[in-house]
Amino acid sequence: MLINANSNTNRTKLLQNKYLELLNSGIEAEKILVIVQNSKKKKEFIDEIKENSNKGFIGSLKIYSFWGFIREYILENWVLVEEGLKDKNAKITPYLSGLEISQYIFKKSIDEVDFTGYNSKTSLLHQLFRRNSLINLNNLSKEEIDKRDKILQQTYSSEANQTINKYKAKTIDLRAFDYVRQINIFEYLYKKLENKFEYIFVDDADEITPCVLAYLEHIKPSVKEFFIGYDQFGSSRLGYLGAINVDFEKFLNCKALKPFEDDEKTKNALKIFHSVKEDKKIDVENINTKTFLKRNEMLDCVIEDIKTLVNNGVKPSDIAIITPINDEFLKTTLEKTGFCFNFISKSEKLNQNKIIGYLLELLKIIIDTNNKFVSPYILKGILIEILNIEKKEALSFVQEYKTGYEFQGLNLFDLIKNKDNEQFRKFINIYEKCRFEKLSSILFEIVSGFIPFQKEFSKDIIKINQLLKQICDFEDVFKDEFDRLELIVQLENTIISENPLSDLEIDENSIIVSSAQKIIDYSYKTKYQFLLDVSSENWIRQDIGPLYNSWVMQKKWEKDTFELEDNINLTKDKISRMLYKLYLLTDKLTLYSSAYDYLGAENFSGIDKYFEYKNEFLQDTKAEIKPIVPRDDQKEVLKYKGGLMSVSATAGSGKTTIMLLLVDKILSGEILNDIEPNNIFVLTFMESAARNFKERIKAKYPNLKELPNISTIHGLALRILKENNNFSKVGLDYDFEILDEVKRVNILTEIVHKFLGSVDKLDLYDAAISSYKNELVLYGDFECSNKLFLKIYNAYDEKLKSENLIDYDDLLLLSLKLLRENKDILDYYADLAKIIIEDEAQDSSAVQQNLITLLGSKHKNIIRCGDINQAITSTFTNSDVEGFKDFMKKSKNVVMDRCQRCATGVLDCANDTVDYAKKEEINAFSDLIMKPVEGKNIIDSKAVGSFIFETEKEENNFVLKEIQSLLKNSDKPISIAILTRSNFAINKWVKILEEANIRTYKNSDNLINNLCYRISLLILEFIINPYELRTLKEIAKELYDIGFYDFDTLRYANSLCEPIFLRDDFDEQFWWDMNYFLFKNYYSIYDLVCEIGEFYFSKTGEKDNIHMVATIAQKVKNSQKTFEDAVLRLREIQFKNNFSNIKFFKSENKDKRKNTVSVMTIHKSKGDEFDYVFIPELTKDNLCLSIDDCKLKEKSTFIQKIKKYPKDDFELKKEITEENFRLIYVGITRAIKKLYLTVSNNYKFFARDKKFENSEFFEGVLCKK
Amino acid sequence: MQKIDTFSANSLKILDKSFVEFKNKYIYNLSIYKKDKRTQTGQKFHGLICFYIRGFDVSRLLMDLSSDELICWQKLKEKLKLIKRNFIKTEYSFLIKDELNNIPYYLTGRFDGIYKDNDFYVIYDWKTSNFPKNPANDLQSIVYLYALSKIYKTDKIKMRYLSIEKLQTFDVNFVSSEKYKEIIDEIILKLPWFNFSLNSGLESQELSF
Repeated sequence: MLINANSNTNRTKLLQNKYLELLNSGIEAEKILVIVQNSKKKKEFIDEIKENSNKGFIGSLKIYSFWGFIREYILENWVLVEEGLKDKNAKITPYLSGLEISQYIFKKSIDEVDFTGYNSKTSLLHQLFRRNSLINLNNLSKEEIDKRDKILQQTYSSEANQTINKYKAKTIDLRAFDYVRQINIFEYLYKKLENKFEYIFVDDADEITPCVLAYLEHIKPSVKEFFIGYDQFGSSRLGYLGAINVDFEKFLNCKALKPFEDDEKTKNALKIFHSVKEDKKIDVENINTKTFLKRNEMLDCVIEDIKTLVNNGVKPSDIAIITPINDEFLKTTLEKTGFCFNFISKSEKLNQNKIIGYLLELLKIIIDTNNKFVSPYILKGILIEILNIEKKEALSFVQEYKTGYEFQGLNLFDLIKNKDNEQFRKFINIYEKCRFEKLSSILFEIVSGFIPFQKEFSKDIIKINQLLKQICDFEDVFKDEFDRLELIVQLENTIISENPLSDLEIDENSIIVSSAQKIIDYSYKTKYQFLLDVSSENWIRQDIGPLYNSWVMQKKWEKDTFELEDNINLTKDKISRMLYKLYLLTDKLTLYSSAYDYLGAENFSGIDKYFEYKNEFLQDTKAEIKPIVPRDDQKEVLKYKGGLMSVSATAGSGKTTIMLLLVDKILSGEILNDIEPNNIFVLTFMESAARNFKERIKAKYPNLKELPNISTIHGLALRILKENNNFSKVGLDYDFEILDEVKRVNILTEIVHKFLGSVDKLDLYDAAISSYKNELVLYGDFECSNKLFLKIYNAYDEKLKSENLIDYDDLLLLSLKLLRENKDILDYYADLAKIIIEDEAQDSSAVQQNLITLLGSKHKNIIRCGDINQAITSTFTNSDVEGFKDFMKKSKNVVMDRCQRCATGVLDCANDTVDYAKKEEINAFSDLIMKPVEGKNIIDSKAVGSFIFETEKEENNFVLKEIQSLLKNSDKPISIAILTRSNFAINKWVKILEEANIRTYKNSDNLINNLCYRISLLILEFIINPYELRTLKEIAKELYDIGFYDFDTLRYANSLCEPIFLRDDFDEQFWWDMNYFLFKNYYSIYDLVCEIGEFYFSKTGEKDNIHMVATIAQKVKNSQKTFEDAVLRLREIQFKNNFSNIKFFKSENKDKRKNTVSVMTIHKSKGDEFDYVFIPELTKDNLCLSIDDCKLKEKSTFIQKIKKYPKDDFELKKEITEENFRLIYVGITRAIKKLYLTVSNNYKFFARDKKFENSEFFEGVLCKK
Repeated sequence: MQKIDTFSANSLKILDKSFVEFKNKYIYNLSIYKKDKRTQTGQKFHGLICFYIRGFDVSRLLMDLSSDELICWQKLKEKLKLIKRNFIKTEYSFLIKDELNNIPYYLTGRFDGIYKDNDFYVIYDWKTSNFPKNPANDLQSIVYLYALSKIYKTDKIKMRYLSIEKLQTFDVNFVSSEKYKEIIDEIILKLPWFNFSLNSGLESQELSF
């Protein structure tokens, strides 16, 4: 019997009735095998049989999940396997162990195979697990594996196969088989044994894997009747979960019954299925879409929606939150709402549980005799959370231990022994009794002695039992032949995520939070489904890596190639099935998306593209914003009708505004036909510009479901690498990471020191490596004369490969390589990119320009905007202004030469700079002369003041007094900036201003500039050192500054003269807050930082950055030995700009910067504007405008030595001088009302006064005034 | 609270002892995993006996035994050799449905072996440890005999415990289904969801936990 019906019908009930009919007809239950999808469905099947059976003996039921069946089958017939083996390791019962054991065996097998040169060593284990799993689920023979290896051309497939074979041999030696390995044993056995089942029931058969099918095929001749329930549109587990689309009518040679009429829901679900398959928008009622910029905003809306439903009487259990990103961010955000959530995560690691974390640490302390020093933070947690020591006593003990260890080398256990405390005594007894015992015995004793057996701890106890079981398994399988410490370290860093408990008991007060697949697998029906993060690629992530490919490794794969189109079509097929099945399980579907993920990275390639936009919560109209009337010079841009166009736009010409208008026109279809937002690519130079552009588009079109692709070129390159698993074509694993500044410095320091014995020249090599990579792309391999550099370069390259890392240059280079070498990928993007708009084109590198040319190669609609006069990055980056100049020659050039920003005097100064360069025959500028806009610019011929002082102090005082006077005399808020030549000078000016109580704003991406980072770090420092009162005072001051605490709190903090935890100041809020953080023991630093962030910033704009800071803290912790080391490291890296590619959202808006002084480099100021601008310290050293006087730095000359076509010194000097001209030009054009240019004749140089020449600028430009 | 309606001999034993203990173990899962040597030895012998009775060649498996266990096996084998042909089932699981106060409940378990001696069905239970102190009144005997009487619908049944170490057996004869059901029901009545008179006291029991 074959029943073709979906999960929304009574299909399962029908099968259960058939089963009961057989039982009632006298057929013994042991002759009927029932295979269901999982143990939850097994329980439901059995419950139904129990309920509807007659009293008395029901039978010896053979109702299993497939994995359960295999397990039983092996245990029942194991003796036959032993009969076939020849070694001396025979076992009466094999170890049907968990994946932790396999992980350990795989690790040992990897050690025996040479994987030299393999790209992703960190994920090798994961790769091999996946490969092995796909081979077994798909029941692939050796020939079938070989064929697939050829198709995929995986360089390391032979090593992979070798490792898997070694792994298999070891599992046989040990008689230890995880569920995947059990498939092989099962296959061996069923082929040897006679089938004893006469009737076979299979439900959810559309989700079965080839290994199950192979078994069913094998027993088919001896089975009297099959009862198979399936859904022809099902198979949502296609791909990496191994489901196979089976033609069951062919398999059973009978026609499938369709006993149920399609109801409205099924019809809609089918509409979804077909729409996705045919790339059409889904037009189905009861689907609502809500879109946001940030993930935080999205979650706020989700929470509001839940509140509304619950207030209207909906039971929480009627709501399901479904997302592939079931992360800590989601968890902490949802948990603070007060609702009950049941997180059914896709996967769980044991050590995510706090108690498990502390228990593992405690085990390490007990067994690791070499580990002399214990992290005080962890020790405090263990004492309070496990040993139940009173908080203050724990803290005092930890302090005593810390000082005792530091000054007397005191041993922890000696100290505990001396304590007159019952809990300590109990612990010491266990320690003395069983520290040399088996790990499981030690753990058992600790748990029995200290963990309270109360209902509140039941979740912890389940986890503890899992841990105990895993340890016992190790002891069984490996006897004494494993290192206890090694096991704990493995358990702490495991890659294994076991499935959570299969019984999905959700009480009616809980909202389920789960992955889509789990909801489908459990057929969990809810009235409301909230699909979150639908714009994220995680919804459709395919499982493809350097050593496996879940599509090609499907049993049914027949093609000899694997192309992008295959990947796209198969993925689409899987999504159609998944969305179809999800829809069947709900009455109302709401989709939520955000443009950015919680780390500030752009989302792309989600499932949102399949849905029509029907929004209930916003009006479906364009938001009313002030209409912009373009000027005549701007109008030309808007006349664009396609093709190549270059826009030369001077500073302050309203370039961004006009670009926005242009995108608006394109979106409304006025320029090109048949264009969707995702056909528009806008590339900006800075991340902040991309965000700003996105926010403005979003503000204008609040209902626009899909935004145009607006990103930096690096953002686009990352998307090309990640989308459709393209990374595997360049040998990367899916979890490759982008090397950040902190890690790059670490890696380079190590390598440079190894080769040169010092790190003095670190900066040189840093820049040279980047430059060399670009050369390689432009010219291919070439002979680099600097052999030492090559050695360092190769070592760096090898290190990155081995750690699955790529740097920012690789990001561009690899995406370019992908497009150049894979026509299908190029076609995909060239087809998509109907129009490309590039901002700041003068700063574009050659590689970037190549990428743009390739992307635009089909539609050839490319608009590049820039200002040659503002090209200020060519001497220290790979930017290539000549490329833009060439583009201008071959494209229609539109000039926007009107500047409405600057006062007339400032405009004159900028134009005079251009004239001076021309007079000096320095080719720094184009012929573009800025013109004012009638009625817009402030008319003030004296808007520029130049001031030369004798001493630095005089200059400093002048700037300070002038600023004080501006701030004092202005009746309206004003913006002021000090623009410096170097990063170094920023700190000096900030110090001067802050000492005079003037608030400053540093436009720098330093981590410490982020408020959340700063506060979190201070509190972490307080936690590790609660006796340090200075930290407390700083915390109070920072939080007073942002208005969180009042002046009384500040006064209280400043009056503290003993540790806060020793006081009982119950009426002081600050005392409560600090004690809370001090004693809230978080095993994970991530959770701790989230708690701090949520406490102080949940109602501020800084909220968006909390999880970014928490992620940074966690990543730092992962690379450090102890919590304390991690906190120190977070302080060490405070001045770094970038960590792990995390991009903070700027919570300060421009209005907030009013009446503060922005201090930044001239480079950083590009794109900004201020009422008053100060450019101090304009010495010749800082701004040399003469080629002859230009001094070359070692960095410039060094880089030339590694280039294919090195420039000579004159050329270099010329370039630097030209750029200096443009740099001052950029600085000048930031000023709206007044510009102050200052210098002094003497500056402090290593604490001594030294004479410095003024820049030529004073004589050449300013003296004209 | 999860209303458990399916019982094994072991869970009934715990419920018989204390409702709180039953609740902790079976509803809240408040017990610690422990694997001791005796349990492992028991598992080995169960496997070995089962394969042997089913007629497989178990000689290779003996490598897994310690020297003491091996001596024990050799003796046991001599005994089993004589009776192995009469086993009709090994490792046989059962599910029995019954009811109490019109509420259904279920008994589950697994017989180590069922031996047929003429008209008599004998449940064999191999014991390496925990040999029942009073086999006739042990809940395992009661539940198993009750179950077997439902399976074969006969009174000609008995339960035989075999101590593997001592090679001693102890037989428990069948008394009556009604009597067994009465004992089982009496224990199950400790659960408030089977005993309405207890419902009012449920809250206080929760509190005392």
